[in-house]
Amino acid sequence: MNRRLGKTNIKILVAVFVAIAIAVVAIVRLDTTGKKGSGLGKEFIYDVKDLAKIDPNLILYEETGAIGTGFKVARGIAVGFDGHVYVAGDKSIRVVFGSHWLPDDIKLADMPMCLTVTGDGKIYVGFKDHVEIYDGQGKRLATWQSLGDDAVLTSIAVSKNDVFVADAGNRIVVHYDTAGKLINRIGARDKDKNIPGFVVPSPYFDLAVARDGLLRVTNPGNHRIEAYTFEGDLEFSWGQFSAGVKGFCGCCNPVNFAILQDESFVTCEKGLVRIKIYDPAGVFVGAVAGPEQLVQEGTSRICETAAECQTGSFDVAVDTRGRIFVLDTIKNVVRIFTRIKEE
Amino acid sequence: MIRFAYIIIGTAVLLLWFPQSGGPSGIASVPTVGERFPPPDFESGYELPSPTTPAPRQSVYEYVDTVVLFAALALSSYLVLRTRSRRAILALCVFSLFYFGFWRKGCVCPIGAIQNIALSIFDRDYAVPIAVMLFFLLPLVFTLFFGRTFCAAVCPLGAIQDLVVLRPVSVPEWLESGLRLFAYVYLAAAVMFAATGSAFIICRYDPFISFFHLSGSLNMLILGACFLFVGIFIGRPYCRFVCPYGVILRQLSRISKWQVAITPDECIKCRLCEDSCPFGAIRAPTADWPAYDYNKSKKRLAFLILLLPVLVLSCGWIGSRLRPVTSRVHATVRLADQIYLEETGQAEETTDASAAFRATGKEIKVLYAEVEDIQAGFGLGGWLSGGFVGLVIALKLIGLSCRRRRTDYEADRAGCLACGRCFEYCPKEHAKLKEAKQAIGES
Repeated sequence: MNRRLGKTNIKILVAVFVAIAIAVVAIVRLDTTGKKGSGLGKEFIYDVKDLAKIDPNLILYEETGAIGTGFKVARGIAVGFDGHVYVAGDKSIRVVFGSHWLPDDIKLADMPMCLTVTGDGKIYVGFKDHVEIYDGQGKRLATWQSLGDDAVLTSIAVSKNDVFVADAGNRIVVHYDTAGKLINRIGARDKDKNIPGFVVPSPYFDLAVARDGLLRVTNPGNHRIEAYTFEGDLEFSWGQFSAGVKGFCGCCNPVNFAILQDESFVTCEKGLVRIKIYDPAGVFVGAVAGPEQLVQEGTSRICETAAECQTGSFDVAVDTRGRIFVLDTIKNVVRIFTRIKEE
Repeated sequence: MIRFAYIIIGTAVLLLWFPQSGGPSGIASVPTVGERFPPPDFESGYELPSPTTPAPRQSVYEYVDTVVLFAALALSSYLVLRTRSRRAILALCVFSLFYFGFWRKGCVCPIGAIQNIALSIFDRDYAVPIAVMLFFLLPLVFTLFFGRTFCAAVCPLGAIQDLVVLRPVSVPEWLESGLRLFAYVYLAAAVMFAATGSAFIICRYDPFISFFHLSGSLNMLILGACFLFVGIFIGRPYCRFVCPYGVILRQLSRISKWQVAITPDECIKCRLCEDSCPFGAIRAPTADWPAYDYNKSKKRLAFLILLLPVLVLSCGWIGSRLRPVTSRVHATVRLADQIYLEETGQAEETTDASAAFRATGKEIKVLYAEVEDIQAGFGLGGWLSGGFVGLVIALKLIGLSCRRRRTDYEADRAGCLACGRCFEYCPKEHAKLKEAKQAIGES
C-alpha cells in the first residue's frame, strides 16, 4: 500500500518542472476579470442590428413632414378634434396647427408627463402624481387630488364621463369621473378575475379608449395590449414577444400606442425603436417606420446601455385623416407619417 | 491495490449516482419557472430548452454538513491516535473526497472560509454564516487537541492529492522550507484581498474546484491536473507549499495536546520509517552540536533577532509600495483606470463596466475619490501583509539558527499530515498488532 521515498532522477525533475511551467501559464492566462469575454463563438453574440432592418415591403407609411418642438424635453403628444397637435414638455404645452406653432404656450407649474384633449377642447394634463384640467386658452379649470408619492402618471384618456389615468408607479389604472371623483382602480392582480396584473419595469404605460367601448391598456412587461371594461373586467388581450417585426421585443414593449379611425392600433416600441400597425384583433398589418428611419438616417441606432434602453421612448397620436404624429423624444420633433400604400 | 480498489469503488458510486440525480444537488425536486421575459427568437432552428432553476440548497444541509465535518474530524482523530490504521484513514479520506469534494462541490471549505472571516472583521456589513464559522473553527479546535487530523482524512483537497501519491520522491529540506514560504505569502495576500473586498483568491485559484464541480475553465482544469501530476512524485504539493489554512494548522499543531507518533512504543532507531513519509515530515535524531558551530550560531541568532524588525518593516514597506499593482484586483480600481483611459483618449472603446458606470450618471471624480479610499486600504493592507511575510522570513531564519535535540525518530509536529503511512514501517507497531491478535485468539 505504501511506498518508500524514491530518489529523484532527471526524468522526474523534467516532468515536474514542465508541469509547474504549464500550471504557471494556466494561472497567468486565466481571465479573472472577464476581459477576454465569454469565449463563445460569433453565433452567440447578441447582435440585433439585422432586426433593425425592416423589409421595405412592410413599410406602409412615409414621412411627410417634421416640426421641431423647441422643447429640451418633450413628454407627450395628443391630437385634438380640431386637428391641432398638442405637445407637452418643459413645463408647458405647445399647440401646432398646420405646420406652425401657435404663439402662446400654455404655461404649467411643473413638468407634464402626459396629456389628452377632449372634444370640447379641454386639455387633461397628467403630472407625476396628479391631473390638472385646462381650457384651450390655458386657464386652469381643476386640479385633482394627488395619488401619492409613488405615483408616476404616464397616460390619460377621456371617454364622455370617464377619465382613465395610467399610473406606472403603482402599476394600476385609476378610473375617475370628469369631476375628479375616484370610481375604481383597474388591472390589479386578481386570480379570481383572471387578471395577471401589469408588469411595468420602466415608466412607460399607455392607455386609450377604443370605439368598441373597451379600455385598452399596455402591459409592457408581458408584451401585450389588454382590453378592460370600465368596471375593470379583463375581456381579452393580444400581442406576443418576438424580436421579429410581428411581435414586441425587449424587456417591455409596446410603450405607447394610438387607435386609428378604423380601430387599428399604432404601436411604439423603445430600444429597437419601431412603429407598427396592428388590426383590431392584434394581427400585424405593417410598419410605419423602423429604427433605420426613426432613429438615425442610414444607420440604425439601438440602445446599448440600460439608461438608453429605459429612455428614448417615442409617443404617438393620430388624426382623423389617418396621419400618424410621432413625438421623437431624441430629436424633439414631431414627425408626420402618411400612408402610402395599402397592406 | 487497496487504494485502487477504493478509487474504483468510489468512482463507480459517483457514476451510478449522477445519472439518477442529475448531480448531488439535484436531490431536491427541480421546479420549472414561467418565462418572465421570453428569450429572443433567433432563427437558427435551435430549440431553446425550458428554463429551470435549481432549488436552493436547504439551510438544514448546512448544519448536516457541519455535523458530518465534526463526525469526520472525530473519527479521523480516533483513527490516527487510537486505532492507528492507515487503511481506515484512507477509507475516511475517500469518503471525505466524495462528500466534501464531489457531493458538496468543495464549498464551503475551511480553507476558503479564511476569507469570509477576514472580510467580516474588516467589513461591518458582512456577516459570516454560522456554518461557515463552524467550518473554519472546528478543524482548528481539533488541531489544537489532536494535531492535523483534518489534513489527514477530512480535507477534500488533501484527499484528492493523497490518492495520487504513487511514486514519491524526497524534497531537500532547504527547498521544502523555501517553497513553504509561498503559503505564507498566499495567506497574507488572501486575507488582504478579502479584507479589502477585492476578491476571494483562494476560491478563484482553487486547483481542484473544477474537478469537484465537474466543470470549469480549461485553465483551472489544467492547473488541477498539473497539481495532481506533480503530486504523483511530490506528495500533496498544494497542502505543503500553497495551502493558507495549512499555515494556521501548522502553528496550532505545534502546540497540540496529543500528536501522532510513528511508534506506539519506544523508538528503537531501526531507521525503517526513515523514508516512509512522502511529505518529508519525519525528523531523524540529532547529534550533539559541535562547540564551534554552537558559538557561531549564537552570534548569528543575535544578529537575526536584531534583523527581525528590519525585515518586518522593509517587507511591510514593499507591500505598501505594491499598492498600485495589488489594488488593481479591486473591480472599482480597474473601472477607474478604464474611465481614465477613456477620458484621456487612450482607450477608444468602452467596456461593459465603463458603459454601465456612465449610465448611472455618477460623477467621475466621485469614482476617483472611492479609488483613493480603496488604495489607502491597500496601503495599510500592504504594510500588514508585507510585515507578516517579513516576520515569517525572519522567524524562519531564526529557526535555522536554533538546534533542537532529538533522540528518536519523530513526526514533525507542524509538518506531519497524520496520514498514518509510517505506522506499518515500525516493527514495534507490528509487534503490538501481533500481541493484540494473540490476545484476541486466546480470548
